[in-house]
Amino acid sequence: MSEAYEGFGRVSRRIGTLFRGVLFASTLAGILTLAVLLVYVANDAVRPLTADPGWHLTFFLTLVLPTIGVGWWSYQRSYGTLTTGLLGTVLPAVAALYAGGLAALFIDVIPTLVWLSFVVALAVPAALVVGLARTDRDVPFLAELATVLAVTVGSLLVIPGLVQSLPTVPADWMVLVLTLGIPEAILLGRWIGGRWGRRDGWIAGVAILFGSAVGGVIGMTTGLGAIPGVALALFAAVPTGLYVAIVARERPERRIGLLLPAVIVGGALAGELLVGALGFAGPESWVDWGFLTSTVQRGADPGAVGIYSGVVGTILLMFVVAAIAVPAGVGAAVYLEEYAPDTTLTRIIDVNISNLAGVPSVVYGLLGLGLFVRYAGQPTGTLLVGGATLALLVFPIVIISSREAIRAVPDSARQASYGMGATRWQTVKNVVLPRAFPGILTGTILALSRAIGETAPLLVIGAAQVFGVPNSWDSAIGAMPLQLYVWASTYASPAFYTTVLAAGIVVLLTAMLSMNSIAIYVRNHYEQR
Amino acid sequence: MSNADQRTDVSEGSSGDEYAVSVPEGRGRDRDADGEASTIIESRDLSVWYNDNQALRSVSMEIPEKRVTAMVGPSGCGKSTYLRSINRMNDLIDAARVEGEMLFNGKNVYDDDVDPVALRRRIGMVFQQPNPFPKSIYDNVAYGLRLQDRTENLDEKVEQALRKAALWDEVKDQLDQSGLDLSGGQQQRLCIARAIAVDPEVVLMDEPASALDPVATSKIEDLIDEMAEEYTVVIVTHNMQQAARISDKTAVFLTGGELVEFDDTEKIFENPENERVEDYITGKFG
Repeated sequence: MSEAYEGFGRVSRRIGTLFRGVLFASTLAGILTLAVLLVYVANDAVRPLTADPGWHLTFFLTLVLPTIGVGWWSYQRSYGTLTTGLLGTVLPAVAALYAGGLAALFIDVIPTLVWLSFVVALAVPAALVVGLARTDRDVPFLAELATVLAVTVGSLLVIPGLVQSLPTVPADWMVLVLTLGIPEAILLGRWIGGRWGRRDGWIAGVAILFGSAVGGVIGMTTGLGAIPGVALALFAAVPTGLYVAIVARERPERRIGLLLPAVIVGGALAGELLVGALGFAGPESWVDWGFLTSTVQRGADPGAVGIYSGVVGTILLMFVVAAIAVPAGVGAAVYLEEYAPDTTLTRIIDVNISNLAGVPSVVYGLLGLGLFVRYAGQPTGTLLVGGATLALLVFPIVIISSREAIRAVPDSARQASYGMGATRWQTVKNVVLPRAFPGILTGTILALSRAIGETAPLLVIGAAQVFGVPNSWDSAIGAMPLQLYVWASTYASPAFYTTVLAAGIVVLLTAMLSMNSIAIYVRNHYEQR
Repeated sequence: MSNADQRTDVSEGSSGDEYAVSVPEGRGRDRDADGEASTIIESRDLSVWYNDNQALRSVSMEIPEKRVTAMVGPSGCGKSTYLRSINRMNDLIDAARVEGEMLFNGKNVYDDDVDPVALRRRIGMVFQQPNPFPKSIYDNVAYGLRLQDRTENLDEKVEQALRKAALWDEVKDQLDQSGLDLSGGQQQRLCIARAIAVDPEVVLMDEPASALDPVATSKIEDLIDEMAEEYTVVIVTHNMQQAARISDKTAVFLTGGELVEFDDTEKIFENPENERVEDYITGKFG
């Protein structure tokens, strides 16, 4: 028997093993380099070693150990329990980040009275549209459209002036409760009403409205500010509460997963109290409240410098980019996928859109400079010019990702719709767009997160420095990456390299990674269906 | 209205749970007592090309009203192409080109003044793979009615359609659940309900049971049998016994897009004129 066995011999796998090792190394090369760099930068920015050892020990015992313990236990219980807990942790954090950005807009950029007047002016035609849709009528579509357009233009011309000349106006935070709290209460109330019954919908709607007002009051009394209080209540507390309610009500087997965020929040609070009581000093981090809210650009003291102008500029730019690139990009994608005939012309357009996505960003900057500044006569470096230029840059990316999402809608769904006698428009509206929406959303967020980090186009259109917090559409702006650029070049001082520059990188990457994580979550969530 | 009464009778008489194990010799239906039916669809020298491939060669046939007409034949013989050229679904394929005439109630549907969208609202279609929309059961059935703005008494019409599709008793308590949560056979009956909710004159079925298990297939066959009381059914099938069981007329297509024989199902299966048809039916090829 053994003779027969030896007769097989052995085949050498040395080269294969070597090859596999090389492949593994090349997989890790990029990630490891970047990881080392990030650790280095994060160390400069947060300076964990400046803290007392006691501080580390306290937080390790109150926060890190319980988190790892509960996390491991959740994972053992079921994967769903762990993801529920993680989402319960990440959702409030990310939501608070964006609520803070929104609050910054209302504090520094948009006068609340102007905002209120335009919301009222747009609410009138919106009410008209809803009213027209509800009533049984035989009005021709074009007449309807003309009426709505006329009312929109009329109310935009008349109402803002009227509202702004009112003798008494509500306080800033009251305006937010009225203009953001009421729509959110109505939307979520209806949604919850459809999900859990009318009564619960009403309760939720009233609670949201009441909660936003309470948020304003709490913000005033705690020194946080009334506007951030309302924004946090509406866009961080409400989504978090809704998530907890959904888990508690519809996923009883995963309810226990919410222990994880509870442990993290509780551990952080307990650690903070203990550290204060025992007198341990925390790290002297460069990423602190002062850095996030200071508008000082230069100077000898890195401690006084802050990134606030860049943050606000970036948020505004994202709004402009999204407002321009998303409708145009999704529209182009729908046209190319659903309407365009397969002709030579569409094939040429096809190829060129793929090429556009690869054009270096500095070329887009030059295009923006030529088009908007030299040709259209806009001043350099403004919000509109910067946003439009970045929109040009991400436009092909939005088209490509939206087309992929639309192409992923199974043809059988379209056939079913056409077979029922649906027109192309009805099929696109009822079947294609709803199914492609998660994919379009994912692609759009990823495109925006590309735009958030772009520096070259903004430099070219003349925003070569950070001009402070913008206060109108045509004021010159900066952005986070530009802020980093000027700290590393124009305003550079040796003190900056290892201090505010590192802190700025951490802030920029946090914003980018939070957007990417939302995109990944949306994609995974809808892929499971 | 007598029409409505008849519909109720149909729904109450549904026998969805029966499962015919034995395959009858020849055809299983007996509708000859009704006498000759009038023609609702007629093709004259209909040819279809996909680019340079001819998928149908000058097919002429007359499909009787309120009967089940089956189309059988090997893969690639053009039977599905014929079905799709009745409601102009081939228009959706850029490469397809049609010659000849397809008359529906005497009107050539390929005339310039015929709107294919309006045509498809009178000729429903059920596909091979059950393809409900990822919407609720209710919204699936209401889809066609909403497209046409026929939303008065919507609840009633949805119930009617689900009853006619022998699905009402199974889903009446879960109308707001997703149509995709149903089993494959239920999904296909939901698609049938969706198709008949708008009261079409003709229902085209493209191998509606080929993706289903035998029990679900049998339910669909019973359903087709009942649908013929009210609608003209044209069904493409791979399954010879199925054609024999449910159809009044059978058209046999053979490779190359030729209609080789078209006659009463009984005649096709018992005494076909064409030798190739006999070979195909008895399983010598195909």
